[in-house]
Amino acid sequence: MTLSCIDLGKTYATERGEIEAVKGIDLEVRSGEFTSIVGRSGSGKSSFLAMIGGLSRPSRGSVHIQDTDIWTLSDNHLADFRNHRIGFVYQFASLLPTLRIVDNVVLPARLDPAQDAETAYRRARELLNQCGLSDCLDAYPSEISSGEQRRAVVARALINKPALLLADEPTSDLDQVTESEIVDWFRSLNRERGLTLIMVTHNLRLAEQTDRVIHISDGRLAA
Amino acid sequence: MPNKLGVGFLLASVALQNLGRREARTLLLLAAVAICSGAIFTGAVLMRSIDSSMAVGFTRLGADMLVVPAGALTNITAALLTAEPTDLTLDDSVLVRLETIKGVQKAAPQLVFRTDASGYRGGASIDVIAFDPMHDFTVQPWLEQHLGRPIRKGDVIVGGRRDEALGAELLLFGWPLIVYGKLGKTGVGTHERALFMTFETFAEMRLTMQQVCGAKAPLEPNRVSGALLQLAPGATTQQVRFAILANFPGVKVVSGESMLTSIRQGLAALLNGALALMAIMFVSSALMLSVLFTAIIAERKRELGLLRAIGMRRRQIVGMLLTEAGLATALGGLVGVALGLLLMRVYEHSLVYYLDRLGIPFVWLNGGTTALIAAFCIVVTSLTGAAGALYPAWRASAQEPYALIRSEG
Repeated sequence: MTLSCIDLGKTYATERGEIEAVKGIDLEVRSGEFTSIVGRSGSGKSSFLAMIGGLSRPSRGSVHIQDTDIWTLSDNHLADFRNHRIGFVYQFASLLPTLRIVDNVVLPARLDPAQDAETAYRRARELLNQCGLSDCLDAYPSEISSGEQRRAVVARALINKPALLLADEPTSDLDQVTESEIVDWFRSLNRERGLTLIMVTHNLRLAEQTDRVIHISDGRLAA
Repeated sequence: MPNKLGVGFLLASVALQNLGRREARTLLLLAAVAICSGAIFTGAVLMRSIDSSMAVGFTRLGADMLVVPAGALTNITAALLTAEPTDLTLDDSVLVRLETIKGVQKAAPQLVFRTDASGYRGGASIDVIAFDPMHDFTVQPWLEQHLGRPIRKGDVIVGGRRDEALGAELLLFGWPLIVYGKLGKTGVGTHERALFMTFETFAEMRLTMQQVCGAKAPLEPNRVSGALLQLAPGATTQQVRFAILANFPGVKVVSGESMLTSIRQGLAALLNGALALMAIMFVSSALMLSVLFTAIIAERKRELGLLRAIGMRRRQIVGMLLTEAGLATALGGLVGVALGLLLMRVYEHSLVYYLDRLGIPFVWLNGGTTALIAAFCIVVTSLTGAAGALYPAWRASAQEPYALIRSEG
């Protein structure tokens, strides 16, 4: 899935005035590419990722995923687009605390009226097996470790077989072993399934493991 | 099989799990709603019951005033339940004019005719009292037994010290009359010994009574012995007395026990106050729920952002939150109604018991109406909960997913 953005910018209105977090970024990510975005805190990399993921409307510019200019879609169509085409992994534990792990993972599939519950649960169990959480299906998020939670989040991001996976600091707060496990899993998903991956990180060692490293500084692509 | 229906169930199940897994928050919410709905339910049932009891109980204490011809005898020590037998009468048009006097809420005319020539029970003296069932408030509230139908022409009601059986037939001036009902004992001699009938029955028998008894003033057409008055809330006996004496020459106004008038009027005002209080409580409950849900939704913004990110639509977010609010408040409403019923049992054993000892019957609402009020309370609290959650839910759903995710959860 090819992603391109043209003159992408984001300005936030705050009590202290307007803050331009992203200042006109042009970027193209080819289908099947594993890209990392690095930069210091506050450089605008998370805002950039939110715009290309359809989570935050740009102040200017456009985002094309395949042939779709995603910010021209209606709110409902954009929600469906995120559900079918994009997987998200966040830097914090983003599981719903009141649902079992398997219910958390299956949730995006169950939001799609075209998918039946039985198939969705079967796929959720397969994904949880792949990431070593087969014993945690019925556990609640508070009952498993942070590393296990993060792996469950990746499983949830993959449940609808997205073509694009966006990860915002996916390994923050994790120990090195778990960090490696997750990046290795990303790498294998990218190689074996041709999944396009964009990962925001401030960890240069992790970034070096990806196909391409993009630096963002002060809202712009750095040389 | 596609899960088109399943999305609705999914949202409901997520809402239910949210309630079930956040026990402390859910219990606090339930408790808050239960207290409100319990108070509203108990208040509504008690108010309606007190209202019915007042209608019976306080009218039993008699009228506030009695208007009779100037020379008529009156029993000033007794409760004003009836006029006394006398040959002096008033034209029945007085009644219509009395009701136009400011401060008069109800005017009930009565015609009292004492006779020993009825042919009933070997010439015993009998007081026959004609009353108007539509205006009456001193005869029917005392009915202790009656046939299971409305009173009609040819019926007679017997006073509390009489021994006729319910449904028995008696002959008065040769007219067969059915004993429709029997009154309780009132302590007012005339009231306890009389035979009561409607003006319609009395009018039908009038010519026969004239033939037997001769020309007597009470037997002339369109005459009444007097009218019992109930005053409107806020009206005083002095004001009404002066207004009547100024407008109706040749009448006498007898006042009842002024303290009872004050109590009755005070209780009516209290009930109106309670109604206003309940309305205020309802509005404050709705506001409280809205504040509660605003806080609850603010606490869950990150969670809502995540749901939006994985593809949940705005209206699905709103639907899930409203389902959660509706379920919690309906359950709270149910608990409140149950608590209200328990509270009323306590009430029954205290105040109702003392009222009964004072001779004031407490008439509970019937089961059907009580169930209806209970259902109303549960539905209204549930809708109030959903309405209280609507604005914060809509506002949260309108935010960008990224803004929700970034917020402090």
